[in-house]
Amino acid sequence: MSLLREAERCIANQGTHATLNAFITTRQHSGPWLQRVRDAETRRTQGTSKSAVDGRLIAIKDNICTRDLPTTCASNALDEFASPFNATVVEQLENAGAVVTGKTNLDEFGMGSHSVHSRFGPVKSLRRDRNEESLSAGGSSGGSAVAVATTQCHAALGTDTGGSVRLPAAYTGTVGFKPSYGLISRWGVVAYANSLDTVGIMGRDVSSVNDIFGVLNRPDLRDPTSLSSFTRSRIDANLRTPALASRATSPLKIGVPIEYNISELSPSVLCAWSRSLAYMRRQGHSIHPVSLPTTKLALSAYYVLAPAEASSNLARYDGVRYGNSISDASPGDYIYASTRGVGFGSEVKRRILLGAFSLSADAMENYFIQAQRIRRLVQHDFDTVFRACQPLAFGSAVKNMDSEKNGIDVLICPTAPSPPPRISSFMGNETVTSHPHAYMNDVFTVPASLAGLPAISIPVTVDSFVDSGDVALAGIQIIGQYGDDRLVLKVAEQLDGKRL
Amino acid sequence: MLRPWFRQCPRATRSLACPQCRPSPRPQEAMRALNALPSSSLSPPIRSLQTSAPESQDHIPLRKQLKQDAKAVKARKRQTRENEQTSRDKWELTVGIEIHAQLNTESKLFSRAPTSSTDLPNTNVALFDLAYPGAQPEFQIATLLPALRAAIALNCDVQPVSKFDRKHYFYHDQPAGYQITQYYAEPFARNGYVDLFTHDGIAPEDGDTIRIGIKQVQMEQDTAKSQEYPPSMHVLDFNRVSHPLVEIITMPDIHSPATAAACVRKIQAILQSCNAVTTGMELGGLRADVNVSIRQRGDATGTHHYGGVGGLGQRTEIKNLSSFKSVEDAIIAEKNRQIAVLESGGVVEGETRGWTIGTTETRRLRGKEGEVDYRYMPDPDLPPLYIGEDLVSELRSTMPTSPDALLKLLAGSEYKLPIEDAKPLVELDDGARLEYYQDVVDLLRELQQDQDPQAQKGLARVAGNWVLHELGGLLTKADLAWDVQRVPAQTLAALLDQLQRKRITGPTARQVLAMVFEGDSRAIPQLLEEEKLILQPLSREEYIALAEAAIELNPQMVEQIRQKNQLGKLGWFVGQMMRMGEKGRVEAQKADGILRELILEGRS
Repeated sequence: MSLLREAERCIANQGTHATLNAFITTRQHSGPWLQRVRDAETRRTQGTSKSAVDGRLIAIKDNICTRDLPTTCASNALDEFASPFNATVVEQLENAGAVVTGKTNLDEFGMGSHSVHSRFGPVKSLRRDRNEESLSAGGSSGGSAVAVATTQCHAALGTDTGGSVRLPAAYTGTVGFKPSYGLISRWGVVAYANSLDTVGIMGRDVSSVNDIFGVLNRPDLRDPTSLSSFTRSRIDANLRTPALASRATSPLKIGVPIEYNISELSPSVLCAWSRSLAYMRRQGHSIHPVSLPTTKLALSAYYVLAPAEASSNLARYDGVRYGNSISDASPGDYIYASTRGVGFGSEVKRRILLGAFSLSADAMENYFIQAQRIRRLVQHDFDTVFRACQPLAFGSAVKNMDSEKNGIDVLICPTAPSPPPRISSFMGNETVTSHPHAYMNDVFTVPASLAGLPAISIPVTVDSFVDSGDVALAGIQIIGQYGDDRLVLKVAEQLDGKRL
Repeated sequence: MLRPWFRQCPRATRSLACPQCRPSPRPQEAMRALNALPSSSLSPPIRSLQTSAPESQDHIPLRKQLKQDAKAVKARKRQTRENEQTSRDKWELTVGIEIHAQLNTESKLFSRAPTSSTDLPNTNVALFDLAYPGAQPEFQIATLLPALRAAIALNCDVQPVSKFDRKHYFYHDQPAGYQITQYYAEPFARNGYVDLFTHDGIAPEDGDTIRIGIKQVQMEQDTAKSQEYPPSMHVLDFNRVSHPLVEIITMPDIHSPATAAACVRKIQAILQSCNAVTTGMELGGLRADVNVSIRQRGDATGTHHYGGVGGLGQRTEIKNLSSFKSVEDAIIAEKNRQIAVLESGGVVEGETRGWTIGTTETRRLRGKEGEVDYRYMPDPDLPPLYIGEDLVSELRSTMPTSPDALLKLLAGSEYKLPIEDAKPLVELDDGARLEYYQDVVDLLRELQQDQDPQAQKGLARVAGNWVLHELGGLLTKADLAWDVQRVPAQTLAALLDQLQRKRITGPTARQVLAMVFEGDSRAIPQLLEEEKLILQPLSREEYIALAEAAIELNPQMVEQIRQKNQLGKLGWFVGQMMRMGEKGRVEAQKADGILRELILEGRS
């Protein structure tokens, strides 16, 4: 299909699926962008394409700054905010010839698992259950996921703090990749929890995700947490050592984390998981049960750390310099109390309060510090099971022989413990309800976030599971050691879109 | 509760003590109020004032009144001193200081925006400085250099690893809702000290020298400038936001208000001498917070500890002091307040207090329950700061001489300056005066090479006097800032050379200096020639004639000198002779000699 045809089809789908609310802002139907697609088309016929994404329409999650489209973060606080600069990832995509086709809906500031906490209304998925009830699109990058699933764009960028790219990918049957922390620049990505925030890529297949990753996987001096060229080459050198380089040709050791086999796991997900493992074994890989004992604590640690950073990062939205400002304060009042009261939605307020509490002098030691310790333990768990060492860890470059021989190469596990829930299950009378149970969806995605590891969710379809004739779709997650992103993508490619 | 108030309120006592400047009925009321108090609670100064009050009602000659007033002032001062002594004997004051100083850097701490404060408001700001969504910090390594110089000058151990934290509080001059600082985790420098000497102005009870420990030095961001236009407008200038600061935290080693002020003054001088900061307190480049507590002497049972020092009383913090005097005054006021609270059976609350220049009391800003919980958190965007020992030793080896070392040098055998002259030379005009002085001394020594070695030894002292007092006096009189070109060092050296060679008198030299100061640009020899200022010494006869003329006009003073041996009055005659003689020709020393001959040797 020509680039122009593909672009036109995406634009048409944006119209058809407008009710899904995947986009907050889209481009005009015609505009300078169209010419850019035509130019790319010409380059393609001449064999001079700028990149694999030259002329492709890419949707950008609305918490990533764009100069010529608003950046709202789905928040009242910023609902007319236009950033004065482009995020590095946007620059990189445009330089590679890609066209930003619009800004996608999300949970306000990325806080949520179902893309319902949006000032612009919830994102709707095309998927319905047996009773024709709407299912959750997942969150917080639900808009990007739905835009990809319904071909309103070629691919999309999301952000993944605790699973926000992987979970919607699993719920919408798309591919969602969260690379290692520090590989993709965060300059221009509105911070929710900086130490966890990662730009993620969503596509209909692994290869389109891979293309975009190739464009974005670059050092950026403007992001202090972006890995330098020096560190990147150190990581590559480590992966080229004979023990690890051999993985390209020989069978892999695939780890199955036993702690992920929880009682809450739904039958369809369990079936997709076990059939995926069986498939991989048929491909010649070996399967190894491994233990990640801190997994149970990871979710609670995440919900202490992420809100703590959020309460800090969101302190800036006071309406003084940009964003909405409600100026009904009487003299002597805090001039921004109303601004923040009206600007933030309920879930954001909840997390700000949680975070402010866990950082307060009396609670800090028991919550924030403890959670940081657990984060270390989670990292340690992963380091213990992987064959490759964590290349950034000081003094651990030489791994003990035991793990080098017995360590696994990637972990395969479900992305979420259950299929997407009904939207009605957490949408009360026009208000969105939330409770700790809603946080459960992140239980399998959070550990890789805490450790900064590359993780991808790919859609796997299973036929007639558990003696029923039902067809089920589930997200299967592949997690690799830090910096081992290429291997994760390679394994994902083998499982991608399989009907098992 | 009135008692502590009266005791601390000099304004109330002033209105009582200064009879001519108050309306008559008021003090009567005040008196009644005082008399209504139990007599035991009347503190002595008020009692003594009470006796002077009725006198003021009578008409008394002005001179007598002035004398009485002066006496009263003296008495009050003595009384205050005695009171201070009494309370000092009983109560021990403990003070720790936190100093915030703007670093001398080209760029802000986390952006490349320039730090210039004179530009139009809101022109020197980067996205990060305004906390724009998606903007990230970019630590400017060069800002570390002045910070390290400060730490080295304060004798600190520079830490190989330090970290940045966020300190949260909401205020519209704080764009991100937090300040990036190093307080909570690891500051970049620790365990320093500053030595204070008598000439630094420390309290007499601290002896000749006292060492104040520096707990830590940390880097942090400044806030925006905020101006309030009541009732409801604030104007913000973000040029200052994120200007790099160092916060210097002393140990609670200070036990007197004067020493606290001296400590701040000294730290400012040290920071300026190593070029770590741009401006001092007078221009807002330096601010201080003080922590004040008291305890009874010999009582180490206090439960509070700070910086590893235990057994202290409850402290209060006085924020944002912007002059040396306010540091001293605020501590005095707070100490007195705490003593009054404790002596009346009360308890000192841990709280934050404020001080306004011109007031006599600190005022409560917020109590413990209103204390901001800063919710310190490591900044997730900023990696730790690794400082190499090579950088530190390189900086250490290129540090300028410290003010203390300079003072020692100037007061030593090479220059022999009195310490009270050496100090201003070092401190004035950011070291420019000292540089000028050094030039004058070098040039003068060269010119005087042929002179006798004994005379040469005094040259530095002579030059000091002229640079500081004569030239300084002219500057003060004309209300002008220091300008090295006004009287070039060569010119002053040439002038002093002539003076040393006795080719001109002191008064002539002064006159010539004033001419040059006013813009006369002729070379000194030419100027002296053309103005006929070169000394033509008077003969002995001429001196005798002048002296006799002066004596003749004032015979009764001669008698006083002769009979009562009032030798001081000889000087007056010297002055008369200089006035009567030809301008610039009468040399004081010779005139004095002749006068002694005529007046003293003639008696018996």
